[in-house]
Amino acid sequence: MNLAIRDIKYSLGRFLLTSVGVGLLLTIVLSMSGIYRGLITEALVLIRGVKADLWVVQRDTRGPFAEPSRLPEDVRYRIAIVPGVAEASPFVLYTIQRERQGKALRMTVVGYDVATGAGGPSRILVGRGLGQKHFEMVADEKLGLALGERIPLGLHEYTVVGFTRGMVGSGGDPVGFFSLADAQEIQFVKDNWAVRNARERARAAYERALPTQPTLPQTLAREFADNPDLHQVNAILVQLDPLADPARVAAAIERWGHFTVFTSAQESDLMLMGNVDRARRQLGLFRGLLVIIATVIIALIVYTMTLDKLKAIALLKLIGAPNRAVVGLILQQSLALGLIAYAIAVTLGELTFDKWPRLVLVEAQDRLLLLAVVVVVCALASVLGVRRALRVEAGAALTG
Amino acid sequence: MTDSEVVRIENLSKVYGKGHTAVTALRGAQLAVDRGELVAVLGPSGSGKTTLLTAIAGIVEPSAGRVVISGTVLYDDGWRIRDLRRFRREHLGFIFQSHNLVSFLTALENVVLALDINGVRGPRAAAIGRELLDYLDVGERAQHLPEQLSGGEQQRVAIARALANSPAVILADEPTAALDTERGKSVMALFRRVAREKGSAVLCVTHDHRMTEGFDRIFRVKDGQVSSVLGGDPQVEDAREEGRISAADRST
Repeated sequence: MNLAIRDIKYSLGRFLLTSVGVGLLLTIVLSMSGIYRGLITEALVLIRGVKADLWVVQRDTRGPFAEPSRLPEDVRYRIAIVPGVAEASPFVLYTIQRERQGKALRMTVVGYDVATGAGGPSRILVGRGLGQKHFEMVADEKLGLALGERIPLGLHEYTVVGFTRGMVGSGGDPVGFFSLADAQEIQFVKDNWAVRNARERARAAYERALPTQPTLPQTLAREFADNPDLHQVNAILVQLDPLADPARVAAAIERWGHFTVFTSAQESDLMLMGNVDRARRQLGLFRGLLVIIATVIIALIVYTMTLDKLKAIALLKLIGAPNRAVVGLILQQSLALGLIAYAIAVTLGELTFDKWPRLVLVEAQDRLLLLAVVVVVCALASVLGVRRALRVEAGAALTG
Repeated sequence: MTDSEVVRIENLSKVYGKGHTAVTALRGAQLAVDRGELVAVLGPSGSGKTTLLTAIAGIVEPSAGRVVISGTVLYDDGWRIRDLRRFRREHLGFIFQSHNLVSFLTALENVVLALDINGVRGPRAAAIGRELLDYLDVGERAQHLPEQLSGGEQQRVAIARALANSPAVILADEPTAALDTERGKSVMALFRRVAREKGSAVLCVTHDHRMTEGFDRIFRVKDGQVSSVLGGDPQVEDAREEGRISAADRST
C-alpha cells in the first residue's frame, strides 16, 4: 500500500498548490540557465553571423564589440592587397535609441558593404536584403517594425525591406542592417538644427578669439565642415584565401603599426571575458542562491507535512511498521513534490520563455541538470522530516 | 506458563529516571491472561496502568522482571527495536481511546494497512479486510474516510484493524472513554464476541467504571502493583482512590 500517494490524494489541493509554488521557483532556476545561455548566444550571434576570418581594428583596442574602435575606411584597400587576403570589407557597429510612435526604438546599427555583403544579414526571414546603397534597411523582427515601413533616422527615412530572426547586438538590442554609407550618415551627419548651432558657436568663437590666435581660421575650417569625417569605420572584416595562414596574414597587417588583428575565435573570447563573464558569474550566483532557497523551502514543506502526520507515524510504528515504511512515506512525498514542481517548471518555461524580453535558451542538458538537482534537493530536504519522524516513539500513539 | 496462557507478567518493575528524581511506576507486578479471556486493568491515574500496557506492548523495556507473550520472552538479550516491531505486528493488536485511524486512509485501507505491514497484500488482504468490517457491521462504510464515520463506527474499524493479523493479544487503551454509555456497551459486547469467537485475549486498560461488567477477570493496579480483584466492588474502590466520593458520601 502506497501511503505517500494516499496522503497526497487526501490533501490534493494543498499539495498541488505547494507544487505550483515550488514549480514557479524552479522556473526561475531554469530561466537562469536559459538567460545565461541566451546571453552567450546573443553576445556571439553577430560575430558568428559575420563569418570573418580576421577582424582588423584600431591599434591597442579590443574592438569593435568589447570597446570602441575607429579606422579610416580606406585602409580596406591596403589590407586587401596583403598576401592571403581574399577580401577586406568595412564594418560599422553602434547602438542608437530613437523615438518611434511615442516609444523608444533601440537598435544595434550594423553598416556593411552592400557590394561584398560581408557583415550583412546571413539569412533573410521575410522580404529581401538591401538592394541599393541608400535608404533601405533590414530589421530584426524583434524591432517590431512593419515591412515597407519608413523609419526616420537623422536626415533621411529608411524603408524596411526585409526581416531577420535572432540577430541582436551584445547588449541584446535587435539589429538593423544598413549600407555602410547610411550607417555612417546616421551616426555622424548633423541634422539642420545641429548645423545651425555649430555655425553660431563657431562664429562667436571666431569673433572673440581672432585677434590673439592666428591659427584659428584653420581650426574653424574644420568646425565649418558641417559633415566632418564620414569615412570612419569600426573594423575591417577580412576573408582569407583558402590556403592562407591566419597568423601570418595577421602579422603582416599588424606590421603597419596602426592596427590590431583578431581572429573570430579571439573576438568571441574577448566578448565572453568582458561583460558576459560578469553577467555569467552574477547569474551563476543567483542560480546557486535559488537552489539553496528551493532546498530550504522544500525542506520546510516536507518537514511541515511530516509534522502533520506524526500521529499516523507513531501509529505505524506501534502496529509494527518498519522504519523503511516511514522513511519511504516522507521521501516519496518529497520526490513527488519535486517532480511535479519540475514538470510545472519545464512546462511553464516552454510556454513562456520565448516571450521574455531577452533570449532564454534552455537546452536538454539544462533540463536534465535541473532534474538531477531537484532529485538531490528533495532527498536532502527530506532528511529533516525523516529525522523528525524517526524520533517519534511508538508509545506516542498510546499516550497521545 | 500453562498452555492456555498467552500473557504472563513476572515480577515486573519499571523505574523512570535515576537517583533522587527516580519514579517507580511498577513494582513486582504479576499478571497472567488466558487465551480468549477478556480482562480489565483498572486503576486511578498515575497508578502504572499505561506503563504496564506499554511494557506488554513491547514499547517500554522494564527495569526488571519478564514479559512473556505466546511463549516468547520480550526484551530478551539481543532483542532490538525492529524485533519488537515485528513481534507487535505478528502477535499484538491495538485499540485506542481516540480510535487512531489513519486520517487519509478509508476504513478498508486502515484494516488492510495492518495486513500490508505484516506482508499480506493484494486481493487477499482486501478480502480479509472486507470480511472483518462485515463481521463488525461496518462493511457498508468500507470506502469512507474516518472523518465520515461516527465515533462508534471508527471504534469498530479500529477493532477490525486490531484483529487483522489474528493476534494472540489485543491491547485496548481506554477503548470506551470517548463513547457514550450505549456505544461503550456495544463495544464491550464486541470485545466479548471477539474474545470468544477469535480466541484472542483482550486486555482493556480503563478507568471507565461504567464498563466493568462482563469481564472475565479484573485486575487492579495500585502504586505499581497489580492485584486480582476478588470480591468487593471495584468501581467503589477505584472511585475512592481518585477521591471522587466525598467523605459525606462515605459516611452515609
